[in-house]
Amino acid sequence: MAEDYLKTEEMVVNMGPNHPSTHGVARLILHLDGEVIHEIEPVIGYLHRAIEKVVENRTYAQCIPMMDRFEYVTAMMADWSFALAAERLSDIEIPERAEYLRVIMGELNRMASHLLCVGVTALDLGALTPFLYTFREREDILDLFEMTCGQRLTYNYIWVGGVAKDIPPEFTPKCREFLDKIDAKVDDYERVLTKNPIWLARNKDVGMIPEKMVYDYGVTGPSARASGINFDVRRNDPYSIYDRFDFKVPVYHGCDCYDRYMMRIQEIRQSARIVRQALENLPEGPVRAKVSRTFKPKEGEVYSRIESARGEMGVHLISDGSPKPFRVRLRGSSYSHLCAIPEICRGLKIADLVAIFASLDIILPEIDR
Amino acid sequence: MGLDEQKPGEEKVPIYNEKLADGNLILTQANKILTVAQARSLWYLLFGTACCAIELMATGASRYDFDRLGMIFRATPRQSDLMIIAGTITYKMAPVVKRLYDQMAEPRYVLAMGGCAIGGGPFYYDSYAVLRGVDKIIPVDVYVPGCPPRPESLLHGCLEVGKKIKQQKMTDWRKR
Amino acid sequence: MTKQELTSYIQEKFSGEIQVIENDQKEPYLIIQPKDLHRFCRFIYDDTRLLLTFLMNMSGVDTKERFEVVYNVCSYRYKLRLYFKILIPYDKAEFDTIRDIWPVADWFEREIWELFGVNVNGHPNLKRFLLPDDWDQGYPMRKDWQGRDVITLPER
Repeated sequence: MAEDYLKTEEMVVNMGPNHPSTHGVARLILHLDGEVIHEIEPVIGYLHRAIEKVVENRTYAQCIPMMDRFEYVTAMMADWSFALAAERLSDIEIPERAEYLRVIMGELNRMASHLLCVGVTALDLGALTPFLYTFREREDILDLFEMTCGQRLTYNYIWVGGVAKDIPPEFTPKCREFLDKIDAKVDDYERVLTKNPIWLARNKDVGMIPEKMVYDYGVTGPSARASGINFDVRRNDPYSIYDRFDFKVPVYHGCDCYDRYMMRIQEIRQSARIVRQALENLPEGPVRAKVSRTFKPKEGEVYSRIESARGEMGVHLISDGSPKPFRVRLRGSSYSHLCAIPEICRGLKIADLVAIFASLDIILPEIDR
Repeated sequence: MGLDEQKPGEEKVPIYNEKLADGNLILTQANKILTVAQARSLWYLLFGTACCAIELMATGASRYDFDRLGMIFRATPRQSDLMIIAGTITYKMAPVVKRLYDQMAEPRYVLAMGGCAIGGGPFYYDSYAVLRGVDKIIPVDVYVPGCPPRPESLLHGCLEVGKKIKQQKMTDWRKR
Repeated sequence: MTKQELTSYIQEKFSGEIQVIENDQKEPYLIIQPKDLHRFCRFIYDDTRLLLTFLMNMSGVDTKERFEVVYNVCSYRYKLRLYFKILIPYDKAEFDTIRDIWPVADWFEREIWELFGVNVNGHPNLKRFLLPDDWDQGYPMRKDWQGRDVITLPER
């Protein structure tokens, strides 16, 4: 072996904030022995915009656009978690139509996020074709969102008490048309990637997260379900009207990057099922409860959580009865995942680190806020 | 084969027209060729920090394609001539942006995309760690407003950078 | 287990002072003494009828009278949740680390130290985390903190 007669030294390499494969501005200081990683030290804070301090000086209606910027890939779900927290501290009755619209928008957003994640994971590992395919479908979803609320990325749509406005009449046929073709498109992506020998070689048995590590680091979402832990907030702790829909929560037991990719593909299909059911049962009615512009919840504290595309997204809200929140703490699941990366990558190579980073679907604003 | 005589009052720069066996070959100002070539193939540095980075990726993807304008992304500043600052720049990130700008080879151009890069955006008020506008540390050529700007806006902004390049003289860069 | 059963089970099994906050949320809200923190976390992690093994969130709060650190734990097997907090006075601002039970608490505690200035006993790595390296303006998330170049949103 090379280590017997070659004297090697540990090298410290900086995988800097400006890197095409660290999704955002994460800086990783790698201690390497050749190509093998001994230690990783993540340095974060390059996107710390102090959202938690900014929202202490905004009314509840003005906080919703801030939540969009907190997690911009799934902005509808970020709005939803904050609106849920504020509603739990007051006695607002949310109309039925608003609940169904929230579920439709949330699940479409989950599909858009998973499409982005699969595309960017493939791009990091060198495959350009799935990136272009998935972004084509994602543009269709963004068209639907633009039809509803006028924005493509930061929606400001799910407000405290309901949603901002009703869907236009051309939403439903276009959405049904999209749902009819998404299954065939997902089959296309699988045909390119799933049995591809290069994809298998780079992802199978790479980045194992055993069960103990899931508990130690609080890994949630598709990354935990790929390790056999069937933890989904929609089933464990149902919020909104998720108990009325019939959908499966896929669970894999391989614990590696390949199963995390398979999880996302299956979740796209399940989300399409939920949206189809919601569109069929959409009732008529108002879309927003009567909430004043200076909405004042009761005094108290609450921790509300939803199942976002990456895992559990939590909002810890403390209110003192005034129109501005007293303290908002945003919990994003990428925080715990990045904390687990040094432990997962011990002994692997840099190319594996790129694959693991992409498969855990880490985005930096959830960490830095 | 001949030199067209320069008519008084017209072109100051001679235009040579050589007649070859198969057809004509027209040469013109070297400046025009170089600037048109540069404007039509701007390679941009992949530098996205926040939400605008997703719109940048979407502009480079299938529907609104950057590649048809000759723009492809490069991961290193040494090979790129346009830096698209997409996203919020914080005080911790500002030295990194300056260092990347210094590492780019001249001629280099900067496009500030989105509200945060232009003037702090939604984080102008009450935030203690956001640099209010990237033009405080590097010179910016084109500003593209929006939060985030639509891909069509960004394409328009890149074409404006192209227009700015075509108006320049290549000798300006040597004088600096 | 319902919320009431969970509260009474913890109160009878754990020997230490526990106060209960009454509200109409779905999970029990408890207040623990800072000196019992490590023992309480060990108890809820190991107990076979609770198995609260996921640490979801730790937040630091500056109510204007004292600091608080709020913990949110969750159990995967029994679908339970628990919200508990410890109260820390201003003049003795420190609490114990629980990173030997949950390694992810390492980062949560580091952030609370950096933004609030609350000392963490037993933490080996209290360094700069989210703020720039040359930050010299104090602890930003405290309620009485004034920034040097912070522009406040004007009231309408």
